[in-house]
Amino acid sequence: MSLLRFSSVTKVYTQGQVQVHALRGLDLQIEAGEFTALVGPSGSGKTTALNLAGALDHPSSGTVALEGRDLGGLSRRELSHLRRDRIGFVFQAYNLIPVLTAYENAESVLALQGVPEGQRRERVLALFQELGLGGLEHRRPDQLSGGQQQRVAIARAIAARPAIVLADEPTANVDSETAEKLLDLMQRLNQERGVTFLFSTHDARVVDHARRVVKLVDGRVAEDLRR
Amino acid sequence: MQILRMAWRNLWRNGRRSAVTVAAMTFALWVMILYTGLVEGMLVDMVDQAVDLEVGELQVVAAGYRDDPSLHRVVADPAALLTGIEGLGYAAAPRLLGGGLGAVGQESAGVQLVGVDVERDATVTRIHQRLDQGAWLDPADPRGVVLGKRLARSLGAQVGAELLILSQGADGSIANDLFTVRGVLAGVGDGVDRGTVFLTEDAFRALMVLPAGAHRLTVRVPEGSDLDQARARIEALGPGLEVRTWRQLLPTLSTMIESTRGLIQVVAFIVYLAIAILVLNAMLMAVFERIREFGVMKAIGYGPGTVFSLIAVESALQALLATGIGVLLALPAMAWLSRVGIDVGALGGMQMMGMSMMQRWTGRFTVSTVQGPVLILWGMVALAVLWPALKAARIPPIEAMRAR
Ligand SMILES: Nc1ncnc2c1ncn2[C@@H]1O[C@H](COP(=O)(O)OP(=O)(O)O)[C@@H](O)[C@H]1O
Ligand SMILES: [Mg+2]
Repeated sequence: MSLLRFSSVTKVYTQGQVQVHALRGLDLQIEAGEFTALVGPSGSGKTTALNLAGALDHPSSGTVALEGRDLGGLSRRELSHLRRDRIGFVFQAYNLIPVLTAYENAESVLALQGVPEGQRRERVLALFQELGLGGLEHRRPDQLSGGQQQRVAIARAIAARPAIVLADEPTANVDSETAEKLLDLMQRLNQERGVTFLFSTHDARVVDHARRVVKLVDGRVAEDLRR
Repeated sequence: MQILRMAWRNLWRNGRRSAVTVAAMTFALWVMILYTGLVEGMLVDMVDQAVDLEVGELQVVAAGYRDDPSLHRVVADPAALLTGIEGLGYAAAPRLLGGGLGAVGQESAGVQLVGVDVERDATVTRIHQRLDQGAWLDPADPRGVVLGKRLARSLGAQVGAELLILSQGADGSIANDLFTVRGVLAGVGDGVDRGTVFLTEDAFRALMVLPAGAHRLTVRVPEGSDLDQARARIEALGPGLEVRTWRQLLPTLSTMIESTRGLIQVVAFIVYLAIAILVLNAMLMAVFERIREFGVMKAIGYGPGTVFSLIAVESALQALLATGIGVLLALPAMAWLSRVGIDVGALGGMQMMGMSMMQRWTGRFTVSTVQGPVLILWGMVALAVLWPALKAARIPPIEAMRAR
């Protein structure tokens, strides 16, 4: 059983009179422990695919299954719990809650899960050390650089021990050096902790890090390379 | 805990907006607390005037007297009844009632005669303190009588004037006698002012040839007692008694008090409506400004209920601040209004429903006069924040994150 499975997924957006076919029969399987880059030209459906994988949207047809559960069969409440417990999100920007410190942001999902205070501290502080965020615990997001903010977002995503971390262009808003470092970091977390990553990018250098590269064109898989 | 912390910090994101909201709530609450206390003070004063002065909290008469107030329809053994009532822990005084004609010189008028047990009466009414001229009745001066204000004026009677009273005694004989005006009352109430002559009990009995019985017992209960319960207890003391509370005796006053209290709530509602609109607007703005943030929150697993409570708690914190500051600021004003009050004597005092009113308008502040405005404020804020909070709770995460 694949960790994440798209089967003949289509997604049609209706904008006034116009229908946009964002996905036209996507078939894709992601296995546990994989580190996969989703690439393709702008408008090829990367964000749409990640939103469907993250249970943030419903496909027009076909099924999306996470750990064998068809997301189409779940209630809103179950989807919300699924996102909290099984999925880690890293968005392009504005990931963090501005009124919470770096530490509080990172522990927020754990708190929602009901993990006791002591365990939250232990896990988050260890991650902060590992991600080079030591000493920044009490900073607010607006006192952090873009790269630091993304690292806090990664810490928040993996602290909750999700089945998969979905990241939509996590490096789009940082300079290329920072982007490279972030990718290194994600890769290390993948190798050392076995965290499954599925991320989109259109940065060629970032792609070099990926062991698996899935290229979308016009809402379909055009290439699926494993290294 | 996390929600409370976030809500508190969110208030400071737009500190000026929060400050304006809190200040408006505080001011409205302050006004409503003082207004409620002043109105309550007026109501209590009205009841005091009407009840303490003359009517009493409860009245006991012989069954049927109210429909047919005859000289003969008396409570036969008032002494025994008094003992019974006092045994319940209440104070009581008998009064004797009759009608007649009063004349001073060439002027005459129909009068209501009231025989008073001077000593006991002072424990249940305060009429003995309401003299405009002269002095109140004195058992040692059985010829001395006290007149209502307007009666004295229409008879042209001053203190010291000779008053001739003509009536029919209980035995059918003609009752007539000369008295001396000892005192003239200040305004008490329409009935008393226009036509009442107060005599000592002994003088009344002698004039009307009524050696025993009493027409009415005025009863006073300790403050805070349940009047209906007191009424039932007194009624149980003996058959043939009719007991009425002041609410039954003065139904218009009673309804007016109820409707005035209702009016306070209407006024509060209107005053707070402006506050509710302000809260609604401020919270809607806050929700729209943070729509992306709510999108991210919901995406990573904050449930709709949590988002709803975040917005609700933000408003609750503002209301809590306003309550604290508002009540604190109201304290000195409450102290002043209840002790010193507003001088309305300069306006000639106030007259309401035929009763003379106070010279000084003082407020009466109790837990409930403060609690009422606070609760209504909270209710209105809760209503106002409902929509913004629901809006935030229902935001679909991707749409919110796509928002600019
Ligand atoms: N909410 C939407 N409404 C209408 N069209 C949309 C919406 N979201 C995406 N699209 C369209 O769907 C297509 C795929 O978009 P997207 O998944 O964002 O691609 P990518 O992330 O690869 O750039 C594009 O043509 C885009 O314009
Ligand atoms: Mg995209």
